[in-house]
Amino acid sequence: MIKEISKNAIHSLWLPVALVASWWIFSTNSQDPYFPPLRVIWEQFVYLWVFDNVPVHVVPSLINLFSGFFFGVFIGIAGGVVIGTNQGVARFVEPAIDFIRSIPAVATVPIFIMIFGLSYEMRIAAIAFAAIFPTMLAVIQGMHSNNPTLLDTAKVFRLTPFQTLVRVRIPAAGPIIFSGIQVSLQVAFVVTIASELLGSGFGIGAFTLIATDAFLITDAWTGVILMGTLGFLVNVIFNLVERRALRWYLVSKKLS
Amino acid sequence: MLGLMLLWQLGTSFGPLAGGSLPSAIDALSALGALLVLPEIWIAMSQTMYIALAGLFASVLLGIPAGVLIGLSPFAYKSLKPVLDFFKVIPPIVIIPIVIVVFGPTSEMGIFLVVFANFFMLVFQSAYGVRHLDSVLLDTLRCYGMSKWDEIWHARIPGALPFIAVGVRIAVAVSMVVAVVAGLIGGAPSLGQQMLLYQSSGQPNQTFALVIVFGILGLSLARTYSIIQRKVVFWTD
Repeated sequence: MIKEISKNAIHSLWLPVALVASWWIFSTNSQDPYFPPLRVIWEQFVYLWVFDNVPVHVVPSLINLFSGFFFGVFIGIAGGVVIGTNQGVARFVEPAIDFIRSIPAVATVPIFIMIFGLSYEMRIAAIAFAAIFPTMLAVIQGMHSNNPTLLDTAKVFRLTPFQTLVRVRIPAAGPIIFSGIQVSLQVAFVVTIASELLGSGFGIGAFTLIATDAFLITDAWTGVILMGTLGFLVNVIFNLVERRALRWYLVSKKLS
Repeated sequence: MLGLMLLWQLGTSFGPLAGGSLPSAIDALSALGALLVLPEIWIAMSQTMYIALAGLFASVLLGIPAGVLIGLSPFAYKSLKPVLDFFKVIPPIVIIPIVIVVFGPTSEMGIFLVVFANFFMLVFQSAYGVRHLDSVLLDTLRCYGMSKWDEIWHARIPGALPFIAVGVRIAVAVSMVVAVVAGLIGGAPSLGQQMLLYQSSGQPNQTFALVIVFGILGLSLARTYSIIQRKVVFWTD
């Protein structure tokens, strides 16, 4: 058992380790201004981000990301439930939703800058707006894909419409809804970075942009690595939350 | 749709948004009409399409064969999966600051970003498709004494096509988005760059008109792709 696990760990870890190691080795004597040695990047990373600049740049980015994300997901779920359970409303708004969804989320940021200026509200609003649609579409799709037998069973048990919605329809659509929320989170992350890259004094994106403009390439590398790592970690945390929330579903799938 | 346009117009003329910097529906649509006769918009549009399509083709040509090969080897698949998982979820926007200093604000930079955005996802989809074939089907082939090559060519690759098709569909949408973002943030010649120009020079109507253009472009790309997909992998659904 333990042997099995360690064998799997070696299988899945040797390549990432080898890649980082070869980057480290091959860049040791790099004179290319664009690709400084990884050792130098790492030293600068520790100097900048452990933890001097974290309150100034990382914390505001994360606060924006999560407040926009939760706000957008909340609207997305509420709107999705209303649209998904009313045929009339659905027919009225679906073309518009389809259209808005086709617009790249980052391209809406200039519109929010026009309305709110380069402010805190602009960022949250742009992030929330982008986060609404993936969740909303998933909820609508989830409501439509509810198993009719399930709904009939709920009727037989004389559940009120509200009980049916909260206890039956939304949980049954859980897996679809969660995949929508995950897309919302990824889009929210992209818009967070975009809103900082398009002009702002603080945030990791802004820091990296200023470093690029000042030709501080090593600093820019640390910003890119930090943003990439955060993007990855946010996804990992989401997957853990999802697995916990959908445990009943994963268990029931294994049994059947 | 029409109802919402009306709502938008009423909201911006009389409602809470009146007097703000959000253009009304009529203003934005007339700006759209005015934009569509400008040659620079059509040049920017063709530049956007060039970045999106060149990047799409490059990532398809590189990613799918790489993915199929990786999927055929259990060792390669197991080793590369964590690397793919890592790069798959990293949005291309985070590498823009570095890519700008290496390539400058050019079309090549945009194409590189599109490839970066699509490549890992396409490799993963193709590798996953090649590996996850029905085991009964594989056993049947072995009973009929099919060679390894026949198995790959007649079973594994066709079996992977639906997964690959899903990957390409995602890639089509992503390519368009990244081509726009490359212009908007990285300054590559495209509609995104045009939009930044309008926004920073205080032309809200034109900025908004471009948003509508993006919506139309995105919708028509998705429609075109779903028509092509239905013809190519007709045996799914």
